[in-house]
Amino acid sequence: MRAYLEFAIKKFQNKMTYKLDFFMGIVNTTITIAVYLCIYKALYGNATEIDGITFQMVATNFVISLGLSSAFEYNEMFLQDRVKDGSIANEFLKPVNFIFRLLSENMGEGCFKILFHFLPATVFTLLYARLCPPKSWVHFLVMLVSVLLGYLILWLISLIIQTWSFWLFSVWGIITIKNVFVRILSGTMLPMWFMPEALKKVIAFTPFESIYFTPVQIYLGELSTMEILHKMGVQLIWIGILGCIAAFFWKKGVKKLVVQGG
Amino acid sequence: MKNIIEVDGVKKYYKIAKREKGFFQTVKHLFHREYEVRKAVDDISFSIKKGEIVGFIGPNGAGKSTTIKMLSGILYPDAGTVKVNGFIPWKQRKQYVKNIGVVFGQKSQLNWDLPLIESFELMRYIYRIPKKKYEENLEKFTKLLDMESFINQPVRQLSLGQRMRGDIVASLLHSPEIVFFDEPTIGLDVVAKEKIREFIKYMNKTEQTTIIFTTHDMQDVEKVCERLIIIDLGKKIFDGSIDEIKQKYANSKSIEIQLEDGEKQIKMEPEIESIIRDIYEGKVSLSTDEGKENHS
Repeated sequence: MRAYLEFAIKKFQNKMTYKLDFFMGIVNTTITIAVYLCIYKALYGNATEIDGITFQMVATNFVISLGLSSAFEYNEMFLQDRVKDGSIANEFLKPVNFIFRLLSENMGEGCFKILFHFLPATVFTLLYARLCPPKSWVHFLVMLVSVLLGYLILWLISLIIQTWSFWLFSVWGIITIKNVFVRILSGTMLPMWFMPEALKKVIAFTPFESIYFTPVQIYLGELSTMEILHKMGVQLIWIGILGCIAAFFWKKGVKKLVVQGG
Repeated sequence: MKNIIEVDGVKKYYKIAKREKGFFQTVKHLFHREYEVRKAVDDISFSIKKGEIVGFIGPNGAGKSTTIKMLSGILYPDAGTVKVNGFIPWKQRKQYVKNIGVVFGQKSQLNWDLPLIESFELMRYIYRIPKKKYEENLEKFTKLLDMESFINQPVRQLSLGQRMRGDIVASLLHSPEIVFFDEPTIGLDVVAKEKIREFIKYMNKTEQTTIIFTTHDMQDVEKVCERLIIIDLGKKIFDGSIDEIKQKYANSKSIEIQLEDGEKQIKMEPEIESIIRDIYEGKVSLSTDEGKENHS
């Protein structure tokens, strides 16, 4: 356990070394949120609410989903690069589980970005826009748990595609396409409330809704206790399903590497 | 002493897609591929005792790295058995790697952005090295390899020689019983090479570490190794001591001239480098050792 914690801490320290990256991250997140808020401000015009959704709720949705999505970015080409130049061999020579090591590192980076990109950006946003407060402290804490589950879903989707680099020459294209899907379907461009009913029904069968929208709904208090349990159950089920798929590809990939050489 | 590494009849074949020139061949290649089999390692057997330093040499593409990869558990052989320290490397990987160290001269395992010492700290947790042992080892190694001056610098600012020393320390902090070096002196200057050679010898002497190392530098071989395994085209063509190879295969003899006044001595010994060159070029034919020959 301690080793994995150290991986996370080392990654955290790593991120600290680049000053420009540090400041640009804050600027980047702040601007992204500001652009979306401006667009939606214009769309709302003088209306106080559309379909029962106030601008304040939309703004809150964007701060949480956009802010987190930029905090949850990391180098998704890591595995591919390792496989390509053969340094994956070094990873197998350490008595640690590579998947958990990857997760620890990515989470270390996520923690860094939440602390130093997301929180400052939220503070800047508060200077010009009003956001909804959480329904209650309990809702806020439950949201944190739900955010963690959402992160795991996002991470596993990425891992599944990353493992394909054992077979494909480059997974960059697929990762880019995946990111577009995630952006559109998880509600970071168009909030889930405004999606067409038909699309909403389709999305309900995908893991994308669970990534950011479930935490947003919990935070705003849109769900009853039963619904919260239900939605978080769905998150857990997706983690289970995606985890199994990722494990399957990982095992096959490692076997291919070990049998055929890197 | 007990054999710590036992390799018996190991084979590793790679399937390589055949490609022919020309447009139509390329199109055909899309739908139908023909494969040819390359024998990277073809029936190699040897055993190594605890505390030995063995040089593993052979021309480029002879199968050295493949063998090292099989010994360290990254690859598994198509045939034959490997037993190292009581483990089958590729089967009990996680247990097995706790007791070995591997240094790849061409692939660094250090954290690029952080000071060297941070990478060492990480090793402490990965291998669960007790604090006392870690501190002792670290102090000893930094002194031996002259690393005090740059241990707090980020790895990306280090020279190749400094980084290589860092890599070596990182793989030895947990006091492994067996260490594999894959071309540890590649691209280094004379002084850095000498430091590393001395260090390897020291580790072997004081800790009884079993060391296997591949190199193309014959100075490495001459100064460090006691025993030499030469492989070519996937087969073992020589296994014996340095002296043996000198006696058997040198096309020059050693001469000792003593001048009349008895003060000046001129010694001429056959150079290992020229012997090895002759072997690679096929000028000297080696009988397959111990009479074990394979007809195929």
